[in-house]
Amino acid sequence: MSLDLHYKQEKPPDIARKRNLWPRNRMVGANYLYYILLAAVIGAFGYYLYTYRDLSLLYLPEMIRGALVTLLVSVLSGICAIIFGLLGAFGSLARFRPLRWLTGIYVEVIRGTPLLVQLYLWYYGIRLLLSNIGFDPHDMLFNSMTVLQSNSLVPDSFNIFFYGILGLSFNYGAYLTEVFRTGILSVERGQSEAALSLGLDERQTMRYIILPQAIRSIIPPLTNNFITLIQDSAFLSVIAVIELEYITIGFALPQADSNQKMYVFVLGALLYLVMCYPLSVAARMMERRLTPDHA
Amino acid sequence: MDVIWPTIPDFLVGTRNTLFYCLASFPIALVLGMFLALMDGSRIVWLHGPARIFIEVVRGTPILAQIFIIYYGLGALLGLINPSWALLINVWTAGIGTLALNYAAYEAEVYRAGFLSVEQGQAEAALSLGLSPSQNFFHIQLPQAIPLMIPPFVNDFIYLLKDSAIVSVIAGSDLTSVLNSYVRTHASNPLPFFLLAIVLYLVMSLPVSYVAKRLERRLRAAL
Repeated sequence: MSLDLHYKQEKPPDIARKRNLWPRNRMVGANYLYYILLAAVIGAFGYYLYTYRDLSLLYLPEMIRGALVTLLVSVLSGICAIIFGLLGAFGSLARFRPLRWLTGIYVEVIRGTPLLVQLYLWYYGIRLLLSNIGFDPHDMLFNSMTVLQSNSLVPDSFNIFFYGILGLSFNYGAYLTEVFRTGILSVERGQSEAALSLGLDERQTMRYIILPQAIRSIIPPLTNNFITLIQDSAFLSVIAVIELEYITIGFALPQADSNQKMYVFVLGALLYLVMCYPLSVAARMMERRLTPDHA
Repeated sequence: MDVIWPTIPDFLVGTRNTLFYCLASFPIALVLGMFLALMDGSRIVWLHGPARIFIEVVRGTPILAQIFIIYYGLGALLGLINPSWALLINVWTAGIGTLALNYAAYEAEVYRAGFLSVEQGQAEAALSLGLSPSQNFFHIQLPQAIPLMIPPFVNDFIYLLKDSAIVSVIAGSDLTSVLNSYVRTHASNPLPFFLLAIVLYLVMSLPVSYVAKRLERRLRAAL
């Protein structure tokens, strides 16, 4: 048996078609039965959702608001993670040896400890340390927004968001460092040698020759990491960031009936799926387009 | 520093529990992942359909949500079927089960990539030489695929070491839970405990990642 891909079969030659010899992926009766059963299962799931529709009417608006917060947090963390990743990648490729050493330590420590521990560290450890020194992001933003007459826009829980996003992006920056590094190193040496011999200096080589070609090999792992980032933003709920998982847990656990508890958890998971599944389908389509065909 | 000394035994127990969670769930994940990969690669839609759905759902939801669903939800469901079955769900089984199921989905992708890396020509040559499909699988494809799959498996074990921290949210007793309890009680000076926990996690993961890099280098040299 072979683990073959589900590719489209080509047209068979006439003789094979006439004699019914060509193996075709026909829809057999059993296939129809499977799809009918799948539709029935999805219908049953829809009925399950309908049975507890009063719970969904009650909780869904708040959960969707939480999902928007999750998306916002993920996008902000993603941008900061890309920044950290670029800094780390250039640091690990630098000629200055202590910088390479420092970046190596950054990547190894962050990749060797759980995200949960890092979030706790940022929130319970570093935040307290910095606030003892006097660094308080919420107060700083509040004071600066007062100048612009809009300090009511700053939420009270800004500190939590600040350190949560910082923790997430610091963590993913380490993984993206490796992704960017691999991408940059995957561009053939000949390209940079040719560019340098044609008279471009190092910065121009990097900017005009290497990075555009590196982006091709960077994009697939980048999108996969971003999808994982959206899911890992659920971890922020343990440091009381009010995003989707926090709201789900807050609504589900007080439920007296276990079935209702399960329903709220399933609703939360469904919202995550709705957010992540289209992205992963899109990521896979993009990956297929970007991968060159090796004949 | 002297704050830490009396707490070190608790941290070591937490480390032992973390290792227990990982070493218990990783083999289960490998076996389940293999079955999942075989189902996913089949042409029979009754097999690859549910396998695909399982993999997509598990990879599309956060592991935090999964562990809550299994710990709080599955217990209720099992209790409906048979009250004594609800006793099966405790922190240990829920944690190990969630980690195993979650990682089975990722291992299935690794198996699939491993088998796709074995050249098609090998299978064709084997079949044309008269070997049966199962002989082809067990004697030709599997021995060539396994060395290709070991580095990703080792990398996944490192991820598992860190994802085992998830059981701390359902009051498991692994290293992160111990850290959590001490940080909550010593809120004024939590940094030494963080340092200790980070060192213990690095002690667990750095040797494995060193082995992974060595294996990868040997594999690339062999290719």
